[in-house]
Amino acid sequence: MTIKIAVIQFPGANCDLDAVHVLNDVIGVETSLVWHNHFKEANFDGVVLPGGFSFGDYLRAGIIAAHSPALDEARIMLKDGRPIIGICNGFQILVEAEFLPGALLQNEALRFVCKWVNIKVINNRTAFTHKMNKDDVLAIPIAHGEGRYYTDNLKELEENDQIVFKYSTEDGSFTSEANPNGSLENIAGICNIEQTCLGLMPHPERASESILSPKQTIHGRIFFESMIEFIKRRLT
Amino acid sequence: MTKVKLNGEEVNIEMTKDEFEKVKELLDRDPTITELGGFDVMWSEHCSYKSSRPKLKLFEDAEANYDYVLAGPGEDAGVIDIGDGYALAFRIESHNHPSAIEPYHGAATGIGGIIRDVLCMGVRPIALLDPLRFGRLAGNSHSQWLFKYVVKGIADYGNCTGIPTIGGEVEFDDSFENNCIVNVACIGLGTIEDFKHAPSRAYNPGDYIILMGGSTGKDGIHGVTFASRTLTEMSEADRPAVQIGDPFTKKMIIEATLEAVKTGFVRGLKDLGGGGLTCATSELTGDGNTGANIDLRKVFTAEPGMTSYEIMLSESQERMAFIVKPEGLEVVLNVFRKYEMAFAVIGKTDDSKVLKVFDGEELVVSLPAKALSESPMFKRAEKRPEYLERLLAQKTPEPTIGFKDIIEKLIASENICSKEWVYRQYDHEVGVRSVVKCGDGDSGVLRIIGTDKFIAASVGVNSKHCYLDPYEGAKGGLVEICGNVIANGAKPMAMVNCCNFGNPEIPESFWYFSKAVEGMNDFCRTLRIPIVGGNVSFYNEDEVTKTAIKATPQIMIVGIINGFENIITLPFKESGNDILIVGETEAELGGSEYHSVIHGLEGGIPPKIDEEKIQARWNLLFELYQEKLIKANHDVNKGGFIISITEMCFKNKIGADMDLTGYNIKKLRDDELLFSETVGRFIIETSSKDYDRILGLAEKFNVTVKKIGSLTSKPEINIKGLKQDVKLNINKMKELYDSTIPNLMEI
Repeated sequence: MTIKIAVIQFPGANCDLDAVHVLNDVIGVETSLVWHNHFKEANFDGVVLPGGFSFGDYLRAGIIAAHSPALDEARIMLKDGRPIIGICNGFQILVEAEFLPGALLQNEALRFVCKWVNIKVINNRTAFTHKMNKDDVLAIPIAHGEGRYYTDNLKELEENDQIVFKYSTEDGSFTSEANPNGSLENIAGICNIEQTCLGLMPHPERASESILSPKQTIHGRIFFESMIEFIKRRLT
Repeated sequence: MTKVKLNGEEVNIEMTKDEFEKVKELLDRDPTITELGGFDVMWSEHCSYKSSRPKLKLFEDAEANYDYVLAGPGEDAGVIDIGDGYALAFRIESHNHPSAIEPYHGAATGIGGIIRDVLCMGVRPIALLDPLRFGRLAGNSHSQWLFKYVVKGIADYGNCTGIPTIGGEVEFDDSFENNCIVNVACIGLGTIEDFKHAPSRAYNPGDYIILMGGSTGKDGIHGVTFASRTLTEMSEADRPAVQIGDPFTKKMIIEATLEAVKTGFVRGLKDLGGGGLTCATSELTGDGNTGANIDLRKVFTAEPGMTSYEIMLSESQERMAFIVKPEGLEVVLNVFRKYEMAFAVIGKTDDSKVLKVFDGEELVVSLPAKALSESPMFKRAEKRPEYLERLLAQKTPEPTIGFKDIIEKLIASENICSKEWVYRQYDHEVGVRSVVKCGDGDSGVLRIIGTDKFIAASVGVNSKHCYLDPYEGAKGGLVEICGNVIANGAKPMAMVNCCNFGNPEIPESFWYFSKAVEGMNDFCRTLRIPIVGGNVSFYNEDEVTKTAIKATPQIMIVGIINGFENIITLPFKESGNDILIVGETEAELGGSEYHSVIHGLEGGIPPKIDEEKIQARWNLLFELYQEKLIKANHDVNKGGFIISITEMCFKNKIGADMDLTGYNIKKLRDDELLFSETVGRFIIETSSKDYDRILGLAEKFNVTVKKIGSLTSKPEINIKGLKQDVKLNINKMKELYDSTIPNLMEI
């Protein structure tokens, strides 16, 4: 049994090669970079929608990519419970394609922000977080201009356990200083009700090698290791 | 502007009458309108370096003198062989004038242009660095506006293309108020094979010429204006001088170009920048010793009815020209189709050595391929400005406030304070290569994935020093920027520069350029650093006040570190360790931040460079690295060593107990000792158990190394050994350091 992961290359994606590098060379899972028009779900066990500026973020971040045939393929995967992760622009695409609820608005400060932040694990039962502990605080970088999460249905999200990560201080408090973009309730990442599709603004692929981490942590790896483990269990 | 008669009609051109006569002599006839437009652009200062070339000849032989230099001055980018089969390309360029008019698009298209320059060496652009100059921010909304939108322009363009901005520097000074400086640098990484596949010339007859990317529009056309009827229709308003960038298309161009190069069917590659299609086709054929037939009606335009003149001279962004082997045409076109990039096969190369351009049936250009690049050169007069004597004679007044207050003012001053507000807006981590990130070192350090090799890069120069002495100032810039990569553990490998000066027709302004070039050349030859490229921006001079910017010969250095364990960072690591200073401090307060911030002075004696001492210090540092004796390193520059030490304390909230009694070797005044900006000094953190070993090595290398303090766990700096003891609170200093720019920029 060989697990196969696809990283979708939308025009304008720019974290695509980074995700491929981490999955192939760090995690050691067979991963292909697939041009969005060429993507066929049948060949893959899981999919990564990488960060970047798909279609230049023209119109609105993620909305044009949300209409790519790749998302129709991904929808089939969503239905049968294969894991899907959208990172940064990938998150924006998942929201625009209505895989996930809510919206991502321009950062409160109206500026792009690139820095390392802390996120706290709220839900450790998803396909991408089941190897984490609830309330773990992870060090991970963000880099976005439109990452302020908003939803009208916060209650529903909470009831369905769809809030996966919240921005926090290093010791796990949800202060406004720890919130880098003004997201509602410090929300950094959410999942679908079935817990198989995760969208988040932070970049786990940038936090998977100690050489890149200010404190030599490799918390990003756990996302991908959870995903692989999830696929293995699914397949057996 | 010159008026000349062309085929019976009166025409306005930028070139001089003599140059126009030379064009006619070269062709033995009157040029066509399109040809004249080509000459006017290609013989402009910007394209031809006609004022600077005689001087820049000094830089010419990098490829011959260094076996690892693959491409030197004159190419689109310098390229060096860094071992393991990898080639590193890099270049720096100015985009000053467009940015002064339209900061957002001016800066953005600057980034666009420099990315293309590196891309057309066949390698992937992996990093950007941007040194900037503006007028002072405090109380100046114009400077704030320029600063805000230049940074945003760089951020939006760089972030979207997925190229991390890993470094840069900013200075604020009144002389840049009306002439801001926006320099952009790019580094590219690829295999040596990739580089060999993409020469910027068409050397083989019978190849296809393909234009790929954005459509050709009326933006950016300048140069010749015509009094004739046909051309009055092109009103100024229709021809915006500043181009509009499209980073999304650029990202597609990068991917499509790299994939096309990988097919092996690309035989030449050239970006379309200044001079547009005219420049690209004439340089491809001229440098390749071939000719070409081009049909302008094949070019896809942004609007119908563009004249051949407009198509040939358009500087629309996001375009590349490819020279493709006939047998690979379809393969390459399929790559462009995959990325949904517009393209057109616009012609074919031949062995005629003549560039022939057709507008349908009509032959509009027929020139010897090399003619456009054979511009006349000017020998410009140079004269040392008389005001320098007065400036150099300025004496430092006794300070009227205590050192604590002075240091607090300095750390919060615009030129010294944290630039975090800037680099937070840049995605400096995309590409998963950034190992030493903005704020953590004197340079940006990138890994080369799959190897244990690292690239360190830094850029900058001290304009205030150059203003007082461009020769020593340019050398000082090299010392500082090399010092930045050395402080991170890297060996400086090569240099590119971007010379920003005033009007070369004014002898005083040209003198600055001339001396700075001599300084760079002398230093680089002595210290064996190849100069592999450069760019010149003249006319940074205020029309109204007739004053030039302070001379700004920006210097960019790339260095290589072998082995992760050999990377050194800036922050102090552990209390109990020693603070050592490498190098003597001289009485060199000229052009210092202390002079300008505390005393409102611009003059005094600026730092002077002793190459032998500099070399000895660098050698010592590498020996200390080899023996793993250095825990942290930071070079000393603006504000003097006390500022360097304070900056090193910030990250880990470490304090320092300092005693300067034994260090004042030259019996300087206390303020001279603390705030002199003598270049080439380093502050290093070392273990006290290694002290004797280090001093022994220092003696062997004949370098002054003094212990000036120890690190403590209490976040304060205590300085003894001066006429007054000084106590600084690190938390307060950090707050001052961090708040200046946000306070000025966030209203």
